[in-house]
Amino acid sequence: MATADSGAKPLQIAMKMAKLAIQLDGENKHKEAYCEYLRTINFISHALLEEAGSQNDGDVVAVEVGRMLRLAEQCLERVKSFIGKRADPPDLSASVSAPFSSSAGQSEQNHTTVLTDTDANPVTAPSSDTPVDKGRKSTSPTNTGHCRMLSDGTGELSSFLPPEVFQRLQTVQSQDISKKELTPIEEASRLNQKLKANYEARLARLRPGQAYQKTSLTLSLQRQMMENLIIAKAREDALQRKMEERRLRLQEEANRRFSASGAEEQEQRILYTNVLEYEQDHDWPKLWKANMKKSPDDVTLVSGLVSYLLSRADHPVVKLLRKHQYRVYNRLYPIVSKGLLQSPPCLLTPPRSTHPTHPEKKMTRGSSIGGQSFCTASSLSPLLSHNHSTNYDDEEGEELHSQAMVDRENSFEDLEQFMTQLDWAPLHSSTEDSEVTCDPSMQPEQDEGSIQELEMRALTEHLKAVVKDIHIAIDQLLSLCLLSFECLNTANSKDLCLASIEEAFFTPLWSALVALFRRVYREREQAFETSMKLYQDVSPGDVGVPSKLFPDDSDAQQGSYPYESAVQELKLLLKDCCPQRKLECIVRTLRLICACAEDYRCLHEVDSTPKTAAIGADDLLPILSFVALRCQCPQLVSECAALEEFIHEGYLIGEEGYCLTSMQSALAYVESLQPGQLPAHKLV
Amino acid sequence: MAAGGTGGKTYSFKVVLLGEGCVGKTSLVLRYCENKFNDKHITTLQASFLTKKLNITGKRVNLAIWDTAGQERFHALGPIYYRDSNGAVLVYDITDEDSFQKVKNWVKELRKMLGNDICLCIVGNKIDLDKDRHVSVEDAESYAESVGAKHYHTSAKLNKGIEELFLDLCKRMMETAQAEERLKGNGASQSASSRRGVQIVDDEPQATPAGGCCSSG
Repeated sequence: MATADSGAKPLQIAMKMAKLAIQLDGENKHKEAYCEYLRTINFISHALLEEAGSQNDGDVVAVEVGRMLRLAEQCLERVKSFIGKRADPPDLSASVSAPFSSSAGQSEQNHTTVLTDTDANPVTAPSSDTPVDKGRKSTSPTNTGHCRMLSDGTGELSSFLPPEVFQRLQTVQSQDISKKELTPIEEASRLNQKLKANYEARLARLRPGQAYQKTSLTLSLQRQMMENLIIAKAREDALQRKMEERRLRLQEEANRRFSASGAEEQEQRILYTNVLEYEQDHDWPKLWKANMKKSPDDVTLVSGLVSYLLSRADHPVVKLLRKHQYRVYNRLYPIVSKGLLQSPPCLLTPPRSTHPTHPEKKMTRGSSIGGQSFCTASSLSPLLSHNHSTNYDDEEGEELHSQAMVDRENSFEDLEQFMTQLDWAPLHSSTEDSEVTCDPSMQPEQDEGSIQELEMRALTEHLKAVVKDIHIAIDQLLSLCLLSFECLNTANSKDLCLASIEEAFFTPLWSALVALFRRVYREREQAFETSMKLYQDVSPGDVGVPSKLFPDDSDAQQGSYPYESAVQELKLLLKDCCPQRKLECIVRTLRLICACAEDYRCLHEVDSTPKTAAIGADDLLPILSFVALRCQCPQLVSECAALEEFIHEGYLIGEEGYCLTSMQSALAYVESLQPGQLPAHKLV
Repeated sequence: MAAGGTGGKTYSFKVVLLGEGCVGKTSLVLRYCENKFNDKHITTLQASFLTKKLNITGKRVNLAIWDTAGQERFHALGPIYYRDSNGAVLVYDITDEDSFQKVKNWVKELRKMLGNDICLCIVGNKIDLDKDRHVSVEDAESYAESVGAKHYHTSAKLNKGIEELFLDLCKRMMETAQAEERLKGNGASQSASSRRGVQIVDDEPQATPAGGCCSSG
């Protein structure tokens, strides 16, 4: 074992460097990762040079040298893939710094624009890029633009990529070019081509009289070429046999592991066979496993391994991840994109609301949300104005009426299409019924109501199915991951592993996913928005925060308001694309609230003993409601609903679960607020 | 895999804390979590959410105590707070008849939502103010008995009865959990972790907090 120690040092350092690079790679910090890979290569070549200078016991280190070279090779491979990516249009550096993103975001179906960071597409109020933002390294904007491709689902037209583009991007994203080896036959035909070229050159050099040599040359060429092909064929057959044998052997191994039978096990078995096969062709799993064995409790090693694994596009785990992502996206796309393109914002609502006869109405609504560049306002207000516009129906009589007719027809078409998309046959007949009875004398409201009800039911069912799919997909991914690396099967490593898988899984999907949630929770978002507009300027006292827990008005006049830091933190929730991160954001918000409350109380009771009481739920919920009101993001409603679906069981009773539950309580309270319930401090 | 096996098991229990605004539930729970050991049990969420690790008859118990808002306007969302709870501590103020009525309402709701799976503790707090008592001991205890709950008297101010209350609750929750395990069959003990917060984890042994809680076996 001493031998291993003597040579291990440079290798270990190199491994560590590579690990850092991989980690950066995993976090999508491409530029840093690129540099780190290069540094690793540099280090390896330096170390090898030095060793070559002072060679004492060559054969001992030979193993290490081989491993170092392989590591260098792998690093080089990654570096190459970066170069490849840079040449592509969705350039990361451009997308992060793009100043034109907001205007470019309008144009459609262009990779560059979709990948472009939609920061400027106003998810939060302008003040959000405060120090809080900078302080949060993990969610820093160096993430690929991909993860941001519109966190606001119902915003611009450009938001959702067609599934084929999504799939292509998936592969472009982590393309590590594994050089394809030539099969024996291919090799032989190359060889033969060379021979032929040679022969032609020699033939050209022959003088016209040497016919005999010419025939002999031709014959020998033919013989050689034939031989080459026969040998190649034999080699290929042997190889095929060997592969077949190996496959059988691995399959048996897989069978032994899953002694039970059944369709699910069958699938697992195939996947596991793929993993075993992959491991025969690649060395890195062995290397990592050996490292894990040496230091099983090393958390950075675990996360390094997982992020490395997820960066290997050809590994069965990653392939499975892609497959599931694509499947989910495919189920989301028809719904979320359709709503955007055809009758925004509501799938089947006749677009009467956007009728050009109410420009002033729209204007006032626009101004009522003040300077807030606030995403959902645009998406929700048409529907609100639709409700208002019913007052105008009488005045506009004929025109509107005929318009409604056309719209209704459209909406039936939409509905039918929608039903077929959802494979929702049972209710089809009832659709036809209503179509038959659809005549001008019918009450439009009733009609619309039933359509909307149907639509809502279909959407809710669809949402449930998608959520279930996602759970199954993640379970499968995790179990395959743990099968591939048994060393990860400890409570802690498993959690880490799951977190990484989820991050990789959700990041490109979240915006589409939340768009579907927003469809389903539209009514709740509207209720929230109404309360928010009514009460955005209330003081903490108005929502029931005890006066000792916020500063007096006189203190608060300098452009800020109580609990502002918590509000800013909460706004950042929309920027993350992975449920775990979002939960952490909610936890941070609640912690900030407690810290602020503590500070405010100390301001009030300067002399008395400050340890009289701590913040309990009786204080927390009113403050949280205040923060939610100030946050001005109705989307929070849908985000929290989605988080509830994807929070882990283990977190459910812990701090994360508590914070999410409190958040939802506060949101529900805000939604339930009625006009006149609180003293409104409206700006005139 | 016998149910009584020692070591290796960690129970995780969720306990909700219910009670009207001024009954002193915050002080009660702070007393409980602050008093023992040190204040590292207090999370950054202060008294709203507290955790405590116990060692009861050789088994580790992780307690997560969820405070809930007493105000009526937040009650609509009560159910999502109680969901998956193993226990509930319902606190009233012995000098405030009204707060006892509120407790009765919560008991009804909890039983409706969670059936008999949840261990209920009804707690008359502020016994240091016994001279102003408005809820008679007999009334409270007979009510508790009638709904299958246990009744306790505490004083957060004097730190009376709190430790006993929680220890007793933990033991009852463990019994319930073990009964549930047995019902599911000892082979499938992992499945117990699926829904109701009873987790059986084989984690590394940790420094057991000074065994003050293992008073009675």
